[in-house]
Amino acid sequence: MAEVMVPIGPQHPALKEPVNFRIYVEGEKIVRLELDLSYNHRGIEKAAEERNFIRVLPLLERVCGICSHSHATAFVKGIEEIMGLEVPARGQYIRTIIAELERMHSHLLWLGVAAHEIGFNTLLMWTWRDREAVLDTLEEMSGNRVHYNMNEIGGVRLDLSEKQVEAAQQRLPVLEERIAQYVDMVSHQETMLLRFRGVGKLSKEEILKYGTVGPTARASGVDYDVRRDDPYLVYDEVPWNVVTDSSGDVYGRTKVRIGELSESLKIVRHCIENLPGGPIRVTSAPKAAPKGEILSRYEAPRGELAHFIRTNGTDKADRLDIRTPTLANWTSVAKALVNQNLADIPVIVAAIDPCLSCTSRMTVIDTGTMAQGSISWEELVRKCRARYGTEVQP
Amino acid sequence: MTDPLLLAVYIFVFPGFLFLLACALFFQYIDRKLAARMQHRVGPPLLQPLADLIKTLGKEVIDVKGVDRGAFSAAPLIALAAVMTAFLYIPVIGASPLAFQGDLILVLYLMTLPTLVLFVMGWLSRNVFACVGAIRTVTQLFIYEVPFFLVMLAPGLMAGSWSISEIVAWQQVHPWCAVLQPIGFVIALIALQAKLERTPFDIPEAETEIVAGPWTELTGHRLALMKLAFDVSLVTGSALIAALFLGGPELPWVIAPVWLAALAGFGLFLIKTLAVLFILATLRVATGRIRLDQLNDIGWKYIAGAAVFQVALVLVMNAWWVQP
Amino acid sequence: MSVIREMLRNLVTKPFTILYPYEKAPIPCTFRGEVAIDDDKCIGCSKCSLVCPPQVITMIDGPREVEFKGKSLARKKRPQVKLYKCIRCGLCERHCPTGAIHLKDTLSGCGTDKEAVIM
Repeated sequence: MAEVMVPIGPQHPALKEPVNFRIYVEGEKIVRLELDLSYNHRGIEKAAEERNFIRVLPLLERVCGICSHSHATAFVKGIEEIMGLEVPARGQYIRTIIAELERMHSHLLWLGVAAHEIGFNTLLMWTWRDREAVLDTLEEMSGNRVHYNMNEIGGVRLDLSEKQVEAAQQRLPVLEERIAQYVDMVSHQETMLLRFRGVGKLSKEEILKYGTVGPTARASGVDYDVRRDDPYLVYDEVPWNVVTDSSGDVYGRTKVRIGELSESLKIVRHCIENLPGGPIRVTSAPKAAPKGEILSRYEAPRGELAHFIRTNGTDKADRLDIRTPTLANWTSVAKALVNQNLADIPVIVAAIDPCLSCTSRMTVIDTGTMAQGSISWEELVRKCRARYGTEVQP
Repeated sequence: MTDPLLLAVYIFVFPGFLFLLACALFFQYIDRKLAARMQHRVGPPLLQPLADLIKTLGKEVIDVKGVDRGAFSAAPLIALAAVMTAFLYIPVIGASPLAFQGDLILVLYLMTLPTLVLFVMGWLSRNVFACVGAIRTVTQLFIYEVPFFLVMLAPGLMAGSWSISEIVAWQQVHPWCAVLQPIGFVIALIALQAKLERTPFDIPEAETEIVAGPWTELTGHRLALMKLAFDVSLVTGSALIAALFLGGPELPWVIAPVWLAALAGFGLFLIKTLAVLFILATLRVATGRIRLDQLNDIGWKYIAGAAVFQVALVLVMNAWWVQP
Repeated sequence: MSVIREMLRNLVTKPFTILYPYEKAPIPCTFRGEVAIDDDKCIGCSKCSLVCPPQVITMIDGPREVEFKGKSLARKKRPQVKLYKCIRCGLCERHCPTGAIHLKDTLSGCGTDKEAVIM
């Protein structure tokens, strides 16, 4: 049978964000695929370099709607380390609570999306319904359902009141029961088992070779979690476990995420019950950071997130480079898709929980020849300055 | 009912076309509402299916370049006409006045037509998603059609008649076929679900994989009519299963005035058909979509095998126990 | 089986959906809604306009005597916020020394007029 090219995206019902796969299939089998990212480059890194440390945080939250707290925390964590700031314990605990609630809402959302990709809309409706409890808690604590804007250099913006803590504590048992339900459903629902088991298999070697991170890696038996291996916030004080699985398929990734749901719940409960008193932020955080470079790592819901920050003694970052977990996971998707069924594309792609617009990278395309390539940083700076007529600084 | 006027009323008003259209929209409403409530949502209001139909009918028709317009517009009409005709042979308030020996086979044949029409439209669409969907449609047809025919004919074998109305009459004095042929009943429900391309068998129109499959290039009144054809198909299929396996509209005892008997028959028809719809809706809500190769596996290994076993069982029962 | 059980339970319980115009979800006290400025408290320090991420707060002339920490103060400027450009991050409220600029718990709505202002 001849090869047929099936274009998936940039507009396609399976995709929530723009990306393009050109998939070559023989019958229903995928022979190979070409991946085209970056339909939505927003130039956030550059914009971040133009704003001071106070004004940059709401912008960084908008790198990604779902892991907004992750980006802000990764950034403030790096800056605080450069500044040598000691964040008060209560501030760190509040950051951890928000971070883990965010992980819960992200994983619940993912579970629904994964179910939707195989046409199991009922689970989508249920997980998104239960996600409301998490979002309500976040809204009560921060005032917003997604862009919490809780972080600032040296602490958090808002304190948690007794009432908020009580409301959160009341919701936790309900959530715990629901998570137990999902564990039961995922391991017993026939169509989910049929569609998830043995699909998109990646071995441990492949995971390590392609630099895959997060739940995708942990589902293939890679026992790695930044929260444990390079602890930040209060993860070294809280009892919790890294969830891993050895199957390496979509089913394994589902199990890891559901396992992480209950771990997150444990962390939130511990943090809420042991919330220390005291200030939530340092009394006066410095405006400018000394010259330095730092790679700030953070375990976002989708995997390891890295912010490379270079400061130059002013109140702005000289260079910010964001490596989102989706970028690290793309290559593994391209690998996992080959020799699979056409019908498995959505679920394999969804299994890494892609966040496409956060991942967008720039490509240099020669408009004449349509040749793609890359150029050096200096070249880019020179071209930009030539284009916008900005003066070259020494 | 040999009066031509009455026959015309039967065909066009009740329980023919007009009633069937209302029934199709009502069943769609029930189906959507049940699914919504099971998913803890509110669901559509009563007239939503009608509003959807009118809205889609009024929408712009977009022609794909290079597609035969006439064939493309006629195809949904053929599908709709086929399933509406099929409904006329199904007993609604009593035996159908059009019944003849062999109408069961005619109905089964007519119910296959929408699927074939869908294939033709997908193939005509000149669109890769529609083509893939069209191929999936026929592949799926080959998988479920054999067991569907086998189990739908089994009640006929048992009753010794190829007329649906006679099979229903036979069930008046004998137990329901659902009791006598439980395997057949279950397979009929599963195969009907596959025929109507509802989850877990919505493989040809898998939204997240191939956009809408053969439906991709359907717009305006074409889409409305094709959707309507499948809604009518849902009613016809549920009514057929209700008639063949659940005894249809006939009561086991005689009710004095004719009109009361007809009313009771109609009530029974509605209850039984809605019961079938409830099972279909539950199945739709409780499952995700399976893959074509998995359906192939399950279909030929288990469902077809079980269907053959059921037919063999019916023949044995015929010989030893039930006297037709 | 747990799926079927939950489906049937949902069938007999009230839907989870909040029918918006008739019922409303409770708004938490931390909710960040429309920006409001309490002119009596504003000392015209410009802090809000400095921290505003989308830079929608401009300081305009608004000379006035205000009370601040028991002392009378002659301020020169007051803030003006472009309502529909505001992203409601709450940074102005956080950095305001007197609590003059704050976010109310009412929705600010949305609009296309980027220049609409509140004073």
